[in-house]
Amino acid sequence: MSATNPVTVNEVSPRVLSRELVLLLCVLALVLMLALTALLSRLYHRKIHTLADAMFAQGEADEQAKNFNAALTDYRNALVYNPGNTRFQFHLAKALAAAGRDEEARSYLLNLLSESPGSGEVNLELARVAAHINSMADAMRYYQGAIYGEWDRDPIGMRWQARRELCEFLLNRGAVKQAAPEVIALAENTPADDPLRLKISGQLLLRTQQWSRAQELYQTLLAANRNDEQSLAGAAQATFELGQYVTAMEYFDRLTRERREQPDLLNLYDMTGRVLAVDPFLSGLPADVRSQRAANALSMAQTRAEACAPQTGRPLDKTPPQTDLQRLYQQDKSLQQDWTQPNLQRFPDRLEAAMAYVFNVENAAALACGEPQGDDRALWLLGRSRSVVNR
Amino acid sequence: MSEAPVVPTTSVPDLIEAPITEAPAEPGRLRARWESWMHAVFTLREDRFFLLLAVLIGVFSGLAVVCFRLAIEWTQITLLGPSLAPSFPRVVLTPAIAGIGVALLALRVFPRVRGSGVNQIKSAMYISNGYVPFTTVIGKFITCALAIGSGQSLGPEDPSLQMGAGIASLIGRSLRLSQEKVRLIAPVGAAAGLAAAFNAPISAVLFVIEEVIGTWSAGVLGAIVLAAVSSVVTMRAFLGPDSLFRVPPFRLAGPGEILAYVALGVAGGAASLLLLKWIVYARPKMQALPRWTQYFQPAAAGLLIGLIGIRFPQVMGAGYAIVDQAMHGQFVWQLLLLLAGLKLLATGFSFLSGTPGGMFAPTLFIGAMLGGAVGSIEHHFFPGLTGTIGTFALVGIGTLFAGFLRTPITSVFLVIELSGNYTAILPVIISTMIAYGISRAYQKVPLFDVLARQDGLVLPSIEERREMTSIVVEDAMRTDGVLVCEPGEPIVEVARRAEVNPEAALLLRMRPGEWWLLDRDDVLRLAPDAARTTTPIHAKSKGPVPYLFRDQSLAEALQVMDDWPALPVASRADLGKLEGILTLAATLHAFRRTPKDD
Repeated sequence: MSATNPVTVNEVSPRVLSRELVLLLCVLALVLMLALTALLSRLYHRKIHTLADAMFAQGEADEQAKNFNAALTDYRNALVYNPGNTRFQFHLAKALAAAGRDEEARSYLLNLLSESPGSGEVNLELARVAAHINSMADAMRYYQGAIYGEWDRDPIGMRWQARRELCEFLLNRGAVKQAAPEVIALAENTPADDPLRLKISGQLLLRTQQWSRAQELYQTLLAANRNDEQSLAGAAQATFELGQYVTAMEYFDRLTRERREQPDLLNLYDMTGRVLAVDPFLSGLPADVRSQRAANALSMAQTRAEACAPQTGRPLDKTPPQTDLQRLYQQDKSLQQDWTQPNLQRFPDRLEAAMAYVFNVENAAALACGEPQGDDRALWLLGRSRSVVNR
Repeated sequence: MSEAPVVPTTSVPDLIEAPITEAPAEPGRLRARWESWMHAVFTLREDRFFLLLAVLIGVFSGLAVVCFRLAIEWTQITLLGPSLAPSFPRVVLTPAIAGIGVALLALRVFPRVRGSGVNQIKSAMYISNGYVPFTTVIGKFITCALAIGSGQSLGPEDPSLQMGAGIASLIGRSLRLSQEKVRLIAPVGAAAGLAAAFNAPISAVLFVIEEVIGTWSAGVLGAIVLAAVSSVVTMRAFLGPDSLFRVPPFRLAGPGEILAYVALGVAGGAASLLLLKWIVYARPKMQALPRWTQYFQPAAAGLLIGLIGIRFPQVMGAGYAIVDQAMHGQFVWQLLLLLAGLKLLATGFSFLSGTPGGMFAPTLFIGAMLGGAVGSIEHHFFPGLTGTIGTFALVGIGTLFAGFLRTPITSVFLVIELSGNYTAILPVIISTMIAYGISRAYQKVPLFDVLARQDGLVLPSIEERREMTSIVVEDAMRTDGVLVCEPGEPIVEVARRAEVNPEAALLLRMRPGEWWLLDRDDVLRLAPDAARTTTPIHAKSKGPVPYLFRDQSLAEALQVMDDWPALPVASRADLGKLEGILTLAATLHAFRRTPKDD
């Protein structure tokens, strides 16, 4: 109908009344349907939330029982009824990762990360997955994300944990140089009143060869508990590596015999004893013992050089000398008269030069034939510690 | 149970305008307000009232879809149990037993619930004046909830679409809207139903435009959009705002990666073609079976699906949860491929058996599985690909949707809306277009048209209509055979030129945009005795005549042409410049030429 022919309400009143009624009925129907839908929706949501929670709880129980496949099914069922639940998704991802299904876990975790990019726990889990599949770059990135991410509970503790895992990941892959700064940061961020974490930091410092820091840390621990075996062992190892054999032996002596004879310490303990047994510079030694040790050392060095030469195929008496070992061996002959035991006892000032010669021979032999064993190793270690002290 | 179509016997005024009268003091303020409000409502022009109704239809449809989805979920939990992997007896027996119930209801109580909802809406539009019986809404609700909830491999979208249309039709008829509006109200409801089912208003609008109406009609577009939006808002109020699927983030690293999606397009096109061909081939055979077998066909389909479900319960039901898992890389490519194949099989069983339910969700499922499989295989050979399995699954959805349902634009937007993620748009466009092209090349008639023809209906093919070439003025106009005269030109000169061109029409250009048709005979009659000052203005003429442009359609030109024997075709840049002339004879000749002649 055209706009020029308006029809008023009154003119079409029977039809309008009918429309009024229909509209009124529509509104009533709408209200009724809204109420019905709201009721149904409420009942349904209650039902599915109950189902989802029950399945999630079952999944957690299965996961704790290390039954990962059952846990996966439960978590998936839970997610069917509550697909947007990030907690369920996270647990499913963790279960997938635990079951070795890294790609699937990664996919879920990436989805979670896109929703909360700063989440520490998602980053940490992604880092674990990346570490498991040996994806170094991803693992580093996600570990850093976890260290600097947001944590709902115990953020300091969780960040420490994330950094610790990063350190272990790097050390397990032999990336000691990359691990060192992280381990140092970990140790520095370890609360002084938490001996458990301090010990873990100490172990990591030892693995990254941060001997001084490790020694310092273990000394702190021992100040609180002087008989703690783990701290004593750590301190002994750090001190040994620093060449402080007397102190190391003190720590070893404070350990129980059983602990001292465990494989990780036995060699160190034995070597510390050997070093102390061959060391002519120990304070309090009588002059004759001192000269005797030096003479023995000279003899051992000579034997070591003679044993090493055939391995290299270069005779010691070849002239002119071409290797350090040949040069030192031939030099020894000229000094043999000066460095006899009686002369060394009579002229104690020659002791230093004689032992320097011994250390040089051991070093040269080590370079040519590999690290020595037994007393030769003790002399070699002693030489290294002396050079550190001198430097 | 069927209802007779209600067609308005009297025309309804398009405009019901009246001055707003003062509200009476008695019988009370409340009544006065009510009357005032009703007056305001009913004095709206009908097209505005139609928009208001669209919102109402949207809310109703949204509520209906919410109830429908809850019913499906509840049925599934009750019949199959809450676990994704139901127990053996349940998985085998439930779809079969429920199939008998569904068949009885569909054949005895709700005979119109079988078949494609899209075609039923189209037939409502083009055959029964917008009439969609409300019993169909109830029937679809019950039978589809039972079928899908019991594990039949069908989806809730097509029934939702039909429920929306049924609700809209009921409201339109009850309000005695004009016949034109009643006819258009069914697609409005369909859009609302589909939007709520997919939680995707844009895709629903596009689907209804692309597949049901076929044109961007301004008269109905606003109502469709309003209905779709209001239904989605209603649905989200009860079921939450989350997208149907959660897709991990994605970034296309470089143009080379597009090739990966080209392969997916080819695979998707082939898979959609396979499903199409199977349905096109097998459906008439199933329909030709004796009627009594129809009571058992859904049960048989249910049993077959149950047997598949013993080992692969993922193929049962709509399968949204499984699609979500596939998008998160939960399945290896072998399983993804197997699931795609089994779902194709199961969906065919369910659909061909006449079980009420939609094909949208299975299409999404097959597409996601296929996409995930193709993505996994490509990742195996090209580990540097940045697209995740989820991305491939997502693109696969759009690909199969475009290939199977032949709605390419809807497919692209559907992917975006389903995932709430825009990043995959480029791969989706490429992949869907390839699948669409393959499907069209090897299956000329689209699915819905095939189904309609198999059901004995001759519904307009939207795809054919969409691609019909429009004949424009340029195709029929002549650039010669016209003489343009100026008002000051001596008539002697005009007559001389007319004698040289005996067939030419004479057009007088009074000023730019004002053209007159000169009477040729009168010009020739005046010329011999005319003085030098006699001009064409002195001759008999008709005008001013309307003018056309060369890009206008011939249908429009015919409307403008009215009784004029010829009309000038002017330049859009300069209305005084003549580009040609269109005669009625040339117009008819152009219409007679069919596209194949061209």
